[in-house]
Amino acid sequence: MNISGLRWTISIISFVVLIFGGVTGLYLGRFIPAFSCGYVGSHLRSGMCVLPVFQSAVSYCSWESFKYLGEMFLYFSLLVILIGRAWCGWICPFGFLQDVLDLIRKKLNFGYLSFSEGVRAKLRCIKWIFLFVALLLPLWAAFPVLAPSVAAEFSCPFCQLCPGKYILPLVTADASRVAVNYRSETAFILTALGLLFSVLVIFGALMKRRFWCPYCPMGLLLSFYRKISFIKLKKDSGKCTMCEVCYNVCPLEIQQVFKERESEDVTFSDCTLCLKCVEHCPEDGALRATFLGKTLYSAKYEFSMPHSQRERTDE
Amino acid sequence: MNKEIIRKTDPIQRRKERLSRGLARSTQTALADLEESPDLPRSMGYFINIMRDVFADGRKDRLFRPTGFQSVNPKKVIGTYCIMVPEELIYAAGAIPVRLCGGSDETSGIGGELVPRDTCPVVKSSVGFTSLDLISLYGICDAVIVPTTCDAKRKMGEVLSSFTNVWMLEVPHVKETEGARKQWLLHITALKRDFEKLTGRKIRRKALQTAIRMIAGAQYEARRLHEIRKSKAPVILGREAMLALNAYGYDTAFEWTKAMARLNHELEQRRDKGRVVAGPNAPRVLISGCPPIFPNWKILSLIEEMGAVTVADESCMGSRYLYDPIGIAEKSMRHMMTGIASRYLMPCVCPSFAPNEDRLYRLLQMTDEFDISGIIYHVLKGCVTYDFELIRVEKIMKEKNIPVLRIETDYSPEDIEQLRTRIEAFVEMIGMKKSKMKRG
Repeated sequence: MNISGLRWTISIISFVVLIFGGVTGLYLGRFIPAFSCGYVGSHLRSGMCVLPVFQSAVSYCSWESFKYLGEMFLYFSLLVILIGRAWCGWICPFGFLQDVLDLIRKKLNFGYLSFSEGVRAKLRCIKWIFLFVALLLPLWAAFPVLAPSVAAEFSCPFCQLCPGKYILPLVTADASRVAVNYRSETAFILTALGLLFSVLVIFGALMKRRFWCPYCPMGLLLSFYRKISFIKLKKDSGKCTMCEVCYNVCPLEIQQVFKERESEDVTFSDCTLCLKCVEHCPEDGALRATFLGKTLYSAKYEFSMPHSQRERTDE
Repeated sequence: MNKEIIRKTDPIQRRKERLSRGLARSTQTALADLEESPDLPRSMGYFINIMRDVFADGRKDRLFRPTGFQSVNPKKVIGTYCIMVPEELIYAAGAIPVRLCGGSDETSGIGGELVPRDTCPVVKSSVGFTSLDLISLYGICDAVIVPTTCDAKRKMGEVLSSFTNVWMLEVPHVKETEGARKQWLLHITALKRDFEKLTGRKIRRKALQTAIRMIAGAQYEARRLHEIRKSKAPVILGREAMLALNAYGYDTAFEWTKAMARLNHELEQRRDKGRVVAGPNAPRVLISGCPPIFPNWKILSLIEEMGAVTVADESCMGSRYLYDPIGIAEKSMRHMMTGIASRYLMPCVCPSFAPNEDRLYRLLQMTDEFDISGIIYHVLKGCVTYDFELIRVEKIMKEKNIPVLRIETDYSPEDIEQLRTRIEAFVEMIGMKKSKMKRG
């Protein structure tokens, strides 16, 4: 099996386990560093995304809640240090859904959209805005000195915006989340925006590879660990021919990987470690994925040219 | 009858015949040199025949096609210069590419009358071939694509356009910028439309996919040869390997791949049996700089005459021709076109690009992988761009303690004795260095 096949298998398994695993009584905890959404029925899901835990702990702002948060954060950090953003590329159910939509596009042989460098640079602030929403707005809910009625809606603000909240329950045939909340103006705006994002992401993912991932605050949070994470993407500059193949196949359109000439570590913040670049890299050993310095998977000319890609000429 | 008399008395016609005979003679000399070797692999015969067909018997009749071409009946033939023209698109449109960069002394003299004196012999020879119509390779082209690489090639397009149907292909010279890459993709897409117009066949996804796969097959075999040439004791001479690669330009990818697979198979068997062309102590030379283009086998013959082996080259008519593959992850037209555009621009280390750091990295890597004892830096008179990069190549090689010999020459055989002396001294020097390093 090639690495893409392995990744698909693991994504399918983790999707089923995280979204439907609860049926078997499995419960993993409330610190999953992926969109294992808490809005999926609690009888179905087997774990929970760390973001709602975080936001509500901040919004309670009590000693108890912070102790709980600290505990969750510890587990979360350990998991992220272990495999870094491979959570995004290999495990995240929301990432998997985008991959499925992308597969539909591929099967229809439609091309994909790609943004120019300028547009990408401008859009880079979105994930920071989302992270700000997730980290700081709950503080307002904790200390509602201004406009307390507005602040009351900010106990879990990012979740209301997150497209995962609307799309993931839908996958479990639960359409109750796909609604606008009329409780208050703030709630209305948040949920309406959230629905808008969901529609955007569904259509976006049909047209662009991993449409949501560059804006995901969870991904940003995970990327903070990339220097100490055990899994790394490494490059041997001496072997790189700068052929740009890694950039062309990268779903996140990271171009620094082929441009980098100085540092060996090319795990950039957007990298979800899907290893497509390693798979398609035509230079033996130019790119590799390492775990604690040990090479897990290394680029090989033979991998980049599987038999389906070339005519058999052996006699 | 009347025609016959005119043909015999017309001075231009007479000159043409004289040159034609000269070309056939120098082709024979170069090929005889190869054929005399007792170690010549049997499968080399196919490639030698292609060269003979194209250059020595290339005037047999107007409708002549080189060996591999006989099996297919292409709608159109497209002549290409340099290595930036996507052959996948040509094949997908139902046409066939031939490589036109010239390497003959006879035609470079003639071409010299149409271009400035300081132009490089590649351009002179190409212009000579085209203007004289000496061999049918140049006459059968329905369109000739000239990428705007170096100054000489760029202006050559203008000169050629009075003899043949020239399409200029603009190549960006700074490839790192987003704008250049976007522009290049646009040019390639426009080229695709032009091919479709020329052949009257729309390039569909399936056809392009097949073409990519076919050339990937050729590239696979070229890489196999590349790997074989790394072996400790060489199993093939550089002048043979480079001839086989050079022949790709005058053959269809499909036929060439089959022949190359046979050669690789034979070489692998020889390697396993320990039948080598030189011992592990023979100096290993990397030929860098300007491409040796058949029939200009002067330098290549001299190096191996002196007992060294050209184990590697970075020539755009040799190893680099088919080295970099297209990397695609899906089969949408857009993705395939992006992949094609990348393959023909980004990994190319032609010195017409600036900055061209990649080439230094590539050379360093080659010296390690091929265990190079010395570099012969081939500069064809007038090739400024390769000469410019010599200083930096010398600098990095000095750090690695690998001697570099700059040889400036053209296609004429006049300086051969002088070159022989210099190459002999160089080979002796690197040979001594190698054995000294072995001992201690």
